[in-house]
Amino acid sequence: MHISKLSIVNYRNFGNTKVLFNKGINTIIGENGSGKTNLFRAIRLLLDDNMKRSASRLEQNDFYRGLQDWRGHWIIISLEFEEVSQEESIQSLFLHSAGDITNETIERAAYNLIFRPKADIRVAMSKLEDGDADGLTAIRQRITIADYETIFTGRSDADFNDEAVYKDIVGDFDLVRFSDEIEFPSIGAKVPGMFSISQEISFTFIQALRDVVAEFQNNRANPLLTLLKSKSGQIDPAVFEPISVMVRELNNSIEQLGDVQILRTDISDTIKDAAGETYSPSSLSIKSELSDEADKLFHSLKLFVGEAEDGHEGAIHELSLGGANLIYLTLKLLEFKYQKAKQSFANFLLIEEPEAHIHTHIQKTLFDKLNYEDTQIIYSTHSTHISEVSNVLNINILGKNASRCEAYQPATGLAPAQVGNIQRYLDAVRSNLLFAKSVMLVEGDAEELLIPILVKKVLGISLDEMGISLINIRSTGFQNVAILFNDARIRKRCAILTDLDAAIIDTNPATGDSEDVKKKKLKVKNSHDVGVRRKTALETFGQNNNWLHLCFAPHTFEVDFVAAGNSEKVVDVLGDVYSSAGTVATAKAELESGDIALFGTRVLTMAQQEGKGWFAILLGKMIDHKTVIPSYILDAIFFVYPTVSTEVWFNILSYRVKCIEQAEQFGPEVIAAFRVKLKSFREGATDFITIRNDMLTTFAADKLIPILNRF
Amino acid sequence: MFAWKEGELDPEQESAIRCDGNVFLVACPGSGKTRTLTYKIAYELSRLSSEKQRVIAITYTHRAADEIHERIEALGVDTAQLWIGTIHSFCLEWILKPYGIYHAELSRGFRVINSHDSERILTELCEPYKREKIKPFDCGFYYTADGCVLACANTPKQSRVEMILQSYFQILSKNRQIDFELMLYYAHQLIADHPTISVLLSKMFAFVMVDEYQDTKAIQYSIIASILRAGAGSTKAFIVGDPNQAIFQGLGGFPIAAYVFAENAQVHLTELMLWRNYRSSEKIVGYFSNFNVHATQIESRAKHREYASIISFNNEVHRDALDDELIRLIRFNIEVAGIPPREICILAPQWVSLAAMTRKLVSSLPEYEFDGPGMVPFARDIDNFWYKFSRIVLTTASPEMFIRRRRWAAEILKDLEDADVTITGLTHKSLLRQCNSIKLDETDGLKYLAEFFGLLFAELGIDIQANELLKEHHEAFFGSSQSRIDRLRKEGAEFVGEISNFRKVFSNRSGITISTIHGIKGDEYDAVIAYALLEGMVPNSNDSDGENSAKKLLYVICSRARKNLHLISERGRLDWRKNEYGTTLKLAEYDFGYDTLPTSDEAPPPL
Repeated sequence: MHISKLSIVNYRNFGNTKVLFNKGINTIIGENGSGKTNLFRAIRLLLDDNMKRSASRLEQNDFYRGLQDWRGHWIIISLEFEEVSQEESIQSLFLHSAGDITNETIERAAYNLIFRPKADIRVAMSKLEDGDADGLTAIRQRITIADYETIFTGRSDADFNDEAVYKDIVGDFDLVRFSDEIEFPSIGAKVPGMFSISQEISFTFIQALRDVVAEFQNNRANPLLTLLKSKSGQIDPAVFEPISVMVRELNNSIEQLGDVQILRTDISDTIKDAAGETYSPSSLSIKSELSDEADKLFHSLKLFVGEAEDGHEGAIHELSLGGANLIYLTLKLLEFKYQKAKQSFANFLLIEEPEAHIHTHIQKTLFDKLNYEDTQIIYSTHSTHISEVSNVLNINILGKNASRCEAYQPATGLAPAQVGNIQRYLDAVRSNLLFAKSVMLVEGDAEELLIPILVKKVLGISLDEMGISLINIRSTGFQNVAILFNDARIRKRCAILTDLDAAIIDTNPATGDSEDVKKKKLKVKNSHDVGVRRKTALETFGQNNNWLHLCFAPHTFEVDFVAAGNSEKVVDVLGDVYSSAGTVATAKAELESGDIALFGTRVLTMAQQEGKGWFAILLGKMIDHKTVIPSYILDAIFFVYPTVSTEVWFNILSYRVKCIEQAEQFGPEVIAAFRVKLKSFREGATDFITIRNDMLTTFAADKLIPILNRF
Repeated sequence: MFAWKEGELDPEQESAIRCDGNVFLVACPGSGKTRTLTYKIAYELSRLSSEKQRVIAITYTHRAADEIHERIEALGVDTAQLWIGTIHSFCLEWILKPYGIYHAELSRGFRVINSHDSERILTELCEPYKREKIKPFDCGFYYTADGCVLACANTPKQSRVEMILQSYFQILSKNRQIDFELMLYYAHQLIADHPTISVLLSKMFAFVMVDEYQDTKAIQYSIIASILRAGAGSTKAFIVGDPNQAIFQGLGGFPIAAYVFAENAQVHLTELMLWRNYRSSEKIVGYFSNFNVHATQIESRAKHREYASIISFNNEVHRDALDDELIRLIRFNIEVAGIPPREICILAPQWVSLAAMTRKLVSSLPEYEFDGPGMVPFARDIDNFWYKFSRIVLTTASPEMFIRRRRWAAEILKDLEDADVTITGLTHKSLLRQCNSIKLDETDGLKYLAEFFGLLFAELGIDIQANELLKEHHEAFFGSSQSRIDRLRKEGAEFVGEISNFRKVFSNRSGITISTIHGIKGDEYDAVIAYALLEGMVPNSNDSDGENSAKKLLYVICSRARKNLHLISERGRLDWRKNEYGTTLKLAEYDFGYDTLPTSDEAPPPL
């Protein structure tokens, strides 16, 4: 049996989220703050026997914040299980509570935590006339968290992720439409109080490690003690008895030590001297209380580990942090093995961010090998090292969309061959693409190197800050990866930047063309034709997909870079490319000619000669705030980064002002006056249009103006 | 493994307990049936191989369940894997609650209606049929797998009753309520429509024990048989009872034959018998063996088997002098035979007014205490929340009551949970502590309870009026109790409403018991005095199998007695045609050398 689906509705940062799981190892990846911990907590509320009972009593701030008013809404955490078997006795208690018996044999089970208003509130809402908004407000106003109850139900068949289902059951708060019923068979039957599902299964949660040494020193959390405790219960009393006898003798010997006896007498005498006979204790002794019981005696057992070659074994606090964490994780895994050995039919292991302190290469091998039979492992990570070893079929990506967390399944609906392509791609280039807020796909090294520099130098902020991942596909096979960005899969924005390779010279054969010219013309024409076909293919591919945006460089990245008005930057690197002054002069003239056939051919020749990557590095050094970003690149950036906040505008404009200030084209009083305006924009006193117009009038020549005019 | 000392059990008891397969055990009266069942449960509990398995024991009453539960705990066996209760609780906990979402009448939630409320509805529905003399009493029914069966044997009335019941079911359905019969019926439907339920239950149940099988309804057998069938041998059955004591057939009770049950459940049954009677003297056993319908074996093995029992029969006394005759018999047993009052029981069919008789006896014999229906100030509606709670309120914390009150408190917590009342941090301990700390001066019993509950629930922060179930039960409990007290007061029981009388209800029996024949199930007394043994009452005139019913009733009455037995068929009782009832035929036919009461000089020395 394994968990096949987790649905979370209105819980913490999840408005309505579906997470799918498969047998075996599953990965949940996501940036920090994307809800990984809350997602695990949701699972633990249902399955972790170590979770305090009171935890299931949810609180006001457990409600999803995106609800304007939580009052009246329900929190639903629902787990679905597959591959259950009614033939196995050990599953029967579980299935009696959670099994779906609609079919002849049980194929699925469901187990839910529902936090909902108590019956009296639900009755009141059920009696509302449709559209009675005032009535609803009156009811909601008197709801407090004390009017809520937690119930656990099993065998539900409602799809809680379907908003229509939620409205049918809980109600439509906008239209004020509530069911006349207050109980709904589709949410399942209450799990009888005499059962606890968490006791039927084996479940271990390994928390992201914060302070592993402290963990070892804490008696309750120390995994070694937990393991020893489970062993101490099994110790044969006959075997342990001689030890108990020795402990008692030891206690006795210590008490009889001369020094101890003297100390006792001294204490006694001092009290009598100080307090007098009447007020002194009537007797006093010093006792050695080393326990002779196995479980207590085991507390004195400590783990010593040798890390270095010299054979020295140190206590946990002497170990390197990585070493200590490895030991911790190992003991927790052993704990799980012990638990699994008990009679239980389903084993779940939840590991939170194993990368927290473990060395990269250990992470990789650890999770390559972590594979227990009949066990479902779910781990959360923000490590690309781990995600690249996980199967893309078993990945859920958590993403933040404003304050709402969503989960994406990147392989939904893909054919095995397509999955294979993505998997190979992820393995090869690391999977940071899965962590990105949004993605720009480019075809070569030049774009990969130069676009980040362009953005940083022109806007003053980095792609990282904007949450944009720039991914180099190293070919024009964009579809293999872009297929991920889709309503059904990853709902994040993705821009494809590619060259259209339009001809920059007249490719019509002319009389008198030399063989070389003929060849060149044919080659350019072929590229041109291929470019046209690629465009058509990509456009077909991206049709009706709002997550995808195609941005075509009319010709080639380098050519369009110059065409955008950056010939001077290329001129600046001529000295690095050509040694002969004559060639430099010719090249300079061509680059500044304004004729695309000339500057285009020149810049391509230079790139070819240096290698596109190296040429981009050379060029990168020359880029400054006066460089112009080609407009198709701006298209891409502002597609994947559609909303620019006031704060970001403020940063961009401040950066530009600083650049202008350094260029000393304007007097300090102009700069200062503008900074005042900027401040008032930041504080919300003026709006974007105003500050944009101010910028236009004050610094009309600034290269940012065309960008600002886009907004 | 649970073990017992040699001599603790007799050979038949022991072989029933040790038998590995399915057992069908016929236990004659006084044969240690409850003891056998208790040991069997303890034994099977200790033999469970997995902590996921359960032993299920189905008893006829809550009281029997409590008693067996307590006895097993006293044997030092962990009862965590035992589920024990009535068939109705069984259906509710194991079928209706977990699987109710698959039944149209239950899927939107349901409440169990108590007998008081269902009687109230029926009373209203009978109102238009006053002229036809149709009373709620006539509207008895039960279900078989095929549908509803009317208990009323009077054919002309049946069509009316059918109409009344139709409206009754409509009302229940509208209110999302179910009564006890519907609980069984719906449970059966669920089991029949969803074979998986039986499969799952059989996987959990290592053993299903059924006590008092002779009073079990056909529909209950089919529920249990279906589970056993699904288990295909993995769930074992232990069926106990005595077909000779099947006195509930009018209400659907059905002493199934072992082979029929075995066929239904598709199991092999080992038929065993407990024939040693440890209760009654040889003379008593010899006497009631005459009423044995099923030719079961029975022999006295009582310590006092040679006791010179007095078995008397009086068919001459007039009903007007009946109380004097009863007083004479009571005095004889206490004052001459040396039998303590709490070991005396007076029985009569439910058709005569036991309450009136109780009050007469109370005033004529002020030196003795009586426990009878006329003395209980509230209805023993065991499923009413407030009735259950009053058990805690009306008893005091003491070591001997500790386990019982703890269990009652746990039941209250469970009921609150079922009623959707959640109180964080409330445990049975803290509940009892809170109850014990409330001290009131009120002397009126009902006011006392109302005030007590009011205070306690205010402290707990529960608004009784806001909860449908608590409110309904509150109205039912206090309403019916008040009308009962008013009626009893009118009939002369002046002090019935005092708190001291309330408290008596749950204290151990101390006085002479007065009961209906049907209410005496499983009990035993040194002396039993039964009256109104009249043809038309014992058996009831509506009974289609009167001869056998009469024998079974007499068998039950007589087998309650350890030492002395006094039977009375008084004269002067008239039926609705003004004809005098005659002696129960089966009794009149019995040619027996009855004793006359000896005087104190002749009485045997008390043992």
